[in-house]
Amino acid sequence: MKKLFLYPAALYADREPTQIITILGSCVAVCLWDPVLKIGGINHYMLPLWNGHGLASPRYGNIAIEKLIEKMINLGSSHENIKAKIFGGAEVLEIEKITFNIGLRNIELAIEFLAEKKIPIISSSVGGKFGRKILYFSDTGEVRLKYVGKTKTKD
Amino acid sequence: MSDIQITDNLLLQELEKRFKEKETAILELEKITEELKAVNAKLTASEQLKSHFIANINNEIINPFASVLGLSRSILEVKDNDWEKVKYMAKLIFVEAHNLDFQLKNIFAAAEIEAGSIYPQISRINIINLIEGVVLDFEKDLKSKRLTFELINNTKFEKDDFTYKSDPEKLKLILSNLISNAIKFSKGAKIIVTVWLEDGILAMSVKDFGIGISQRNKEIIFDRFTRIDTGINSLNRGHGLGLSVVKALLELFGGDIAIESKVGDGSLFTVKIPETDDIVDEDGFSIDGGEVFFVDGAELF
Repeated sequence: MKKLFLYPAALYADREPTQIITILGSCVAVCLWDPVLKIGGINHYMLPLWNGHGLASPRYGNIAIEKLIEKMINLGSSHENIKAKIFGGAEVLEIEKITFNIGLRNIELAIEFLAEKKIPIISSSVGGKFGRKILYFSDTGEVRLKYVGKTKTKD
Repeated sequence: MSDIQITDNLLLQELEKRFKEKETAILELEKITEELKAVNAKLTASEQLKSHFIANINNEIINPFASVLGLSRSILEVKDNDWEKVKYMAKLIFVEAHNLDFQLKNIFAAAEIEAGSIYPQISRINIINLIEGVVLDFEKDLKSKRLTFELINNTKFEKDDFTYKSDPEKLKLILSNLISNAIKFSKGAKIIVTVWLEDGILAMSVKDFGIGISQRNKEIIFDRFTRIDTGINSLNRGHGLGLSVVKALLELFGGDIAIESKVGDGSLFTVKIPETDDIVDEDGFSIDGGEVFFVDGAELF
């Protein structure tokens, strides 16, 4: 099976069944899955909203989720079949950055944005104090998760 | 009785406190509203710039192409083995083609970044070689502006002993943008590139002695499609993607960029790029046996 390590600010969706690994701290990953076509996609965003600075990349939640939905539709998914799972948004303390509550804001954005798009969240593991390492099977929609306990995560 | 008195006082204090809190909340709300307005204006401007970009891109791509085509035709028509003439025109073609290549690389990098489909492709790079290569591509531009170039190696390594694990193509694009800008905004004199290691992290700076950047412009130069109008050079080429691409690429590596500049005093751009540990294959999959990790004890969702 095709394997992929998903970097922060990247997104991926394909018809080919793929195992995707990503590591999340305060970042959030939204896994979209279409149980009818058995295809899926995933993003990994770092901040909730694009503020007009720099490039309009999937580093920002509003862009990352919008683009991922678009990609799923382009692959042939019907909007009403798409289901979501969300992960990450931990409260990873970083002293040098003033990104207070960033994890929480990332989670809120995913919940609100998906609700607005009428995509149900069928499972999630968000918040808490530990980073997460997830393995997503894009064909079955299965996600395996491990906490990245004491190791430092900067994503 | 005295108890009630105290309670009254406390009540008043509490009321005052609440009023103050409300005031701060209103002030904060006003501040947030202001920020929102600013962001909104920015997003609108960004959309407008995007449409300008489509119009500009025509000039940026069609013009160099026309030159390349014209020059190639001239070469085909050269008679009597006039090699000097051919060489001269081939050089001009190279400059135009290089410029075209550079513009296209920026455009495609920006498109890939915005699509979220850009991945580091890590290998071991000879940094000094890489910098020299980039500068060589801009030799003609340096010459036409009478600029000299200086490379200072402040690492304790000799040129060939200094390798670093990163993505060579993306590093090249970062450097090309910084050097291209330095040339564009220079007014004679020279450009200095300095390389050093800071706690094992690669740092590179590009210094020019040009027109400098105002405080206001410092805030917007990383925005896409933003071109700083020099006022001197009406033929300011480029589409305003360069620095936004540089910033996004650096974010990909967990690096950053700093600017020191005063108007009329030149500019100093410093980038820091942490070394990427994993050698990754072309799909961006880290060869660290990550999947073994999930064999037991993983939660299912």
